[in-house]
Amino acid sequence: MRFAFRALPAAGGGTLTPRPVIDIALEGLPDAPMECLLDTGALRTRMSAELAPLAGIELSGALTEEFYIGGLKTAGVLARVGLTVTDGTDEFSWDAPVWFCDPWPHPFGWAGLEGFLHYFLVTIRAYDGYLDIEPQP
Amino acid sequence: MPTMTVSGHQYDLDSRSVEAALQGALPEPIQEHFVVINGRRWPPKQVLALVTGLDRADFTTHQARRALTRLGFTAARAASPRERHRAGSPAAAPPRPAVSSTAERSESSVEALRPFIGLWVAVRGDEVLVAAPSAKEVVAWLAQHRQRAQSMFRVLDSEQAINGAAPQ
Repeated sequence: MRFAFRALPAAGGGTLTPRPVIDIALEGLPDAPMECLLDTGALRTRMSAELAPLAGIELSGALTEEFYIGGLKTAGVLARVGLTVTDGTDEFSWDAPVWFCDPWPHPFGWAGLEGFLHYFLVTIRAYDGYLDIEPQP
Repeated sequence: MPTMTVSGHQYDLDSRSVEAALQGALPEPIQEHFVVINGRRWPPKQVLALVTGLDRADFTTHQARRALTRLGFTAARAASPRERHRAGSPAAAPPRPAVSSTAERSESSVEALRPFIGLWVAVRGDEVLVAAPSAKEVVAWLAQHRQRAQSMFRVLDSEQAINGAAPQ
């Protein structure tokens, strides 16, 4: 499955450098896949905690860890959830640990080692502005 | 302020009163025709219904479109899915891209997103389906209108929001 890098408008005008992103749908929220930044340096896969109730994911009583991100203290709550990725033609679903974070200052989720990279062969072609992912058995 | 007659009723309307009437509303999915108001695409009938309080069955799309263009708003017709595909803007599957096509697509996507800086958006290809202050509103809109997005995210209002995650 191929995903083009996505560029965003800069608030001050112009365009930000296109980033490698994958759209990952949470089980229970199939119509609104969340854009996730591919972060090869991140151990966890993280998303905003506000998505969990929208997908019907129960977080109370789950394992919680506090950490700093970009200088901001935040708390992540672990849930094992069904995830799906599709390019419109092919589709792959898997079950993975996702940390739902509050506050979450970023406009997208993070696709890290646990939760995403463990499940795919990923080829990044930054020069051409896209990445390919291939599910691993 | 121009006076216009819609479905037998007279209204005093100008562009500001139309823009004000749309505050707090979200545009419904575009079927074919749209008008551009405050940088967003709106179905003409939805706009005229909100502005006048009339039932949408009381007027046609063409009457709504004509009334709104008289007030200075741009009106256009959305490309059909087949036309969009021919134009190289696929809904969900990026083609095996060459460098130039990727760059062109990025540029058009960026311009489509620019009016929505700071908002959550749901997109399909280069098309912004909905933009709202919260993910909850975006998800509710998708469910209400039975739309499926390719991707949902918040358009950055600060470059720090991205730099903290991925240093440049």
